[in-house]
Amino acid sequence: MSGIAVFLCRCFGEVKRVIDLDSLQKEAERHNDVVSSAVCESLCLADDIEKTASRIGESGADKVVIGGCSHLARGGAAVDALVERGIKRSAIGLVDLREACAWIHKDDPERATEKAWDLISMEIAGLHHRRESDDVTVSVCPEAMIVGAGPAGLSAARTLAQMGFKVHLVERGSNPGGMLNLISHVYPSDEKASEKMKTFVDEVDKNSLINFYPKAKINSITGFAGNFNVQVSSSGGEQRLRAGAVILASGARVWLPHGLYRYGKLTNVITQMELERQFIKGPREIKTAVFIQCVGARNHERPYCATMCCPSSLKNAVRIKEENPDARVFILHRDIMTPGSVLEAYYRNALAKGVQFIRFEETNPPEMLGDEHVESVEVFDSISRMKRTLECDLVVLSTPLIPNDDNVKLAHMLGLQVDRYGFFSEIYPLHPLETRMDGVFICGSARWPVSSDNAIVQGEGAAAKAAALLGSKAFSALSLSRVPGEKFGHAAVNAEKCTGCGNCVAVCPFAACRLQKMGRKSIGRVNKLRCKACGNCVSVCPNGTVQLPEQDYRAVAAMIKQAFGGDSAL
Amino acid sequence: MKILIFACKWCGLIGADGAGKKRIQLPTQFRVIPVECAALVEPDAVIRAFASGMTGVAVLGCHLGGCRFNHANHAAIKRLELLKTLLDATGIGGKRLLISFGTAHEDHQYAEVVKTFFDELEAMPSTAAWIS
Amino acid sequence: MLEKIKNIARTILSEKQADGVLGLIKGQWDIIQPHIFESPVEVDALVIEPKWLLAKMAMTVLRSSREGYRLAVVVRGCDERALTELVKRNQIEKERLVTLGIACTAEQAQACICDRPYPQKLDCGEAVAGVDTLSVESVKELLAGDGPERMEKWANILKRCIKCYGCRNSCPICVCVPCKLEDQVWVETGVIPAEVLSYHLIRALHLSDTCVACGACQEACPVNIPLMALQMSMREMLRETYGYEAGLDPDRKSPILYDLCKEPAAGQALPDWVNSLRKDDES
Ligand SMILES: Cc1cc2nc3c(=O)[nH]c(=O)nc-3n(C[C@H](O)[C@H](O)[C@H](O)COP(=O)(O)OP(=O)(O)OC[C@H]3O[C@@H](n4cnc5c(N)ncnc54)[C@H](O)[C@@H]3O)c2cc1C
Ligand code: SF4
Ligand code: SF4
Ligand code: SF4
Ligand code: SF4
Ligand code: SF4
Repeated sequence: MSGIAVFLCRCFGEVKRVIDLDSLQKEAERHNDVVSSAVCESLCLADDIEKTASRIGESGADKVVIGGCSHLARGGAAVDALVERGIKRSAIGLVDLREACAWIHKDDPERATEKAWDLISMEIAGLHHRRESDDVTVSVCPEAMIVGAGPAGLSAARTLAQMGFKVHLVERGSNPGGMLNLISHVYPSDEKASEKMKTFVDEVDKNSLINFYPKAKINSITGFAGNFNVQVSSSGGEQRLRAGAVILASGARVWLPHGLYRYGKLTNVITQMELERQFIKGPREIKTAVFIQCVGARNHERPYCATMCCPSSLKNAVRIKEENPDARVFILHRDIMTPGSVLEAYYRNALAKGVQFIRFEETNPPEMLGDEHVESVEVFDSISRMKRTLECDLVVLSTPLIPNDDNVKLAHMLGLQVDRYGFFSEIYPLHPLETRMDGVFICGSARWPVSSDNAIVQGEGAAAKAAALLGSKAFSALSLSRVPGEKFGHAAVNAEKCTGCGNCVAVCPFAACRLQKMGRKSIGRVNKLRCKACGNCVSVCPNGTVQLPEQDYRAVAAMIKQAFGGDSAL
Repeated sequence: MKILIFACKWCGLIGADGAGKKRIQLPTQFRVIPVECAALVEPDAVIRAFASGMTGVAVLGCHLGGCRFNHANHAAIKRLELLKTLLDATGIGGKRLLISFGTAHEDHQYAEVVKTFFDELEAMPSTAAWIS
Repeated sequence: MLEKIKNIARTILSEKQADGVLGLIKGQWDIIQPHIFESPVEVDALVIEPKWLLAKMAMTVLRSSREGYRLAVVVRGCDERALTELVKRNQIEKERLVTLGIACTAEQAQACICDRPYPQKLDCGEAVAGVDTLSVESVKELLAGDGPERMEKWANILKRCIKCYGCRNSCPICVCVPCKLEDQVWVETGVIPAEVLSYHLIRALHLSDTCVACGACQEACPVNIPLMALQMSMREMLRETYGYEAGLDPDRKSPILYDLCKEPAAGQALPDWVNSLRKDDES
């Protein structure tokens, strides 16, 4: 037998006080599809749920409509409790009679009761057409692909390899090390950058679980959590990789200050990165140096702080002082950003070493004096409110990190989002290393500019998150939910009706739809594991070929028809 | 007066819930269909609603940057704006379709959106030309 | 002009650029009808008047012909745009299609209320300026008046519809089987008077961003419903908001399928803090 059981919750009188539940029940009894109905005291009590579940069993109903409080209040929990007792989620309809009816219409019980019945009959009508999405279970390929072999990628690779997972470490350049390969020494430890990375690079060399692909270019990434397929061309030729998880550790790049402070025109105006390169070559005798902070950062176009520029300037200012104690070194800044005890101590050390700090306003930046090279820098000190002229033989511009150019391309391949600058976005602030796409994790400067220590920590974190996925043998598509709560379902294409127009492919924000050739025709296909059930494809498919079974168009149309007593106006 | 509201579970529905908890009194003549995301509101379903005699239809979704499904709601807004143009051209009136993204997230906002929509529709001429 | 187009058609056939040329033929008893010319001699009988839309026919021919069969089509502006849309929507394989573009005369453009009476790839004839569609009296009148007045006007117009599906069948873009208009969930079937509101709004909206203003729907209508006016208003909206016109750029899909960062909309500001994809192209 099949039919619908209707349960109306009094909610200790909260609903009952306004809505005439007895007449609702009578209405329900008269309804053709309803095989059983009851008014219960309060479905949030375990007792009542138990009773309800057994009544459903007895009545032979295969679908249930509950009229009670809202999903966010206790309604959601009541649904969960019934699901636990073996009733399919898609067979349960929850009607919010409390928040959405009784409480907002308490002065008009008659119409509230009318509305309550409309809402119940809408749900009854809709339930008929709801189906559960077909689930699929996929096995997990216990290997990870890591994009980028900087501090973040290397630490992720090391962590995963030490846990016993095979790692494909894909690097655009020829050597591991990332941006630290371009840097002489690293704050805050002041050790040589190559020294710092040594343990990580050694791990790549000796751990056979880590496959390193130098000079690599990612051509495509398809697939889904547990089973990504990657096409890479590297110095080893064209290759296909399979990976259960993808960790994006592709870092960022340095912004070049063309047009600012006459960079590129004056020979001794250089960037921090150029100074690092000179230091790698060996010590330099510098008599007076002026560092300028926030060049192209914390402004209208790039309002963010890149976090690594202040400590870098402190590092190099002190180094100049140490190499030549008589040197005069100025740091012109808008605020010194050195959060945490270690970096604050680093700042104090620079002060103690005699580095001078001058604060300027964004609206009144320092000026370069000189023709071919800088002879002096003029700056308006915003604290003493005095103009100062600093003679110098070197000006170092601190520029921020900006996103890599191919982030957007990678984001499109993976169905990710980038933020408005182009860094990869995390799913929520509470899950900083996870993205909206299952099985894809982010760390290091690819998600936001960080120092190498932070990059290393984040790499470990991303590896731990990935390991949790790689360690599971298999999982089902419906268990993947990047949003809190249950996954709603996933879209499915009816191959016979599809015209292959490609609208769904263009609109899907998760790159879950694609076209597949079937003879001479193309048809749309939805990847169940990538689909997050947003419904965009459903809304642009001209003839309703792609549907979310949980909210079939017939369900919506049926609900619309019942919305006001089922009296279609036309 | 018959108003149909499609409310996204992450925005409009939260506002609706809050309005209930605050016992904000609202006119009764509206019905809510909860959806996972405003992107799931097919423009054809909105048309279906008008053809079934709705005086107005509202779609409540999240802020343009706050969609749980990446940028799913951007395309949703675009489709609905286009539908408004069509409603205007046929004289039904684009104003009968309320697109509210990110403005009904909280209890009072939600109540305000619903009430204002009521008042606006009340002031509009009837759709009798269709209904007769 | 006719001689020139014939010569091009002959070259296409003799050089095997295509296996057939779809155009109009003046046959027995001077009857003009579409025809596939497969040899250069045959081309002598080719004519280009009157206006006859061939896009949908070209699609059908290509679908039913053998693999690798290439078809050249004599197209006016609207036909070319329709073919472009069909290629964009994967109904025609680009490689199998050659177009032979001809320009329409100013009189023809007036008659069609056409804003672009020439193809992008013009092989023959002089392009004349298009008509400013929304300022044409007949269109203006249809879209004039305040809400209730216009509603009444359109209600009366649309109530003439006998739901013969002629508009849908003739539209080059409408290729869905089954079509939503035949699904009683969307448009009630078997009722008298027919449910025309949902029928027409759904049809018009489905074509909003793909309508190439060919006029086939309107020409096919037995009761003279001015269907184009609705399409024009939405075409104008897309032009103003996104600078988009269907059928022009084969590489640009409808902007309403994309997010606001890739396809920004005039008058739709994104809040500063919005996390989203930048304007850069997809891979
Ligand atoms: C001038 C300067 C001085 C600095 N000084 C210090 C310091 O003293 N101390 C400190 O802690 N930090 C310092 N930093 C910051 C430090 O460089 C970064 O924090 C760190 O490198 C970030 O590590 P990462 O792994 O996230 O990215 P990166 O180090 O940028 O590594 C990313 C790697 O990914 C590769 N890659 C990028 N795209 C792709 C792709 N599509 N496919 C394959 N591979 C790709 C790149 O080639 C690179 O090897 C400094 C930065 C600058 C600019
Ligand atoms: S519902 Fe459709 S558009 Fe949304 S994620 Fe799934 S496949 Fe993509
Ligand atoms: S939008 Fe619909 S018809 Fe078009 S390809 Fe996708 S499923 Fe097929
Ligand atoms: S004018 Fe009519 S037939 Fe031509 S494309 Fe537009 S809707 Fe289709
Ligand atoms: S009206 Fe819509 S569903 Fe029907 S054929 Fe045209 S585009 Fe397809
Ligand atoms: S061609 Fe005319 S009568 Fe036929 S369905 Fe279309 S509008 Fe109605």
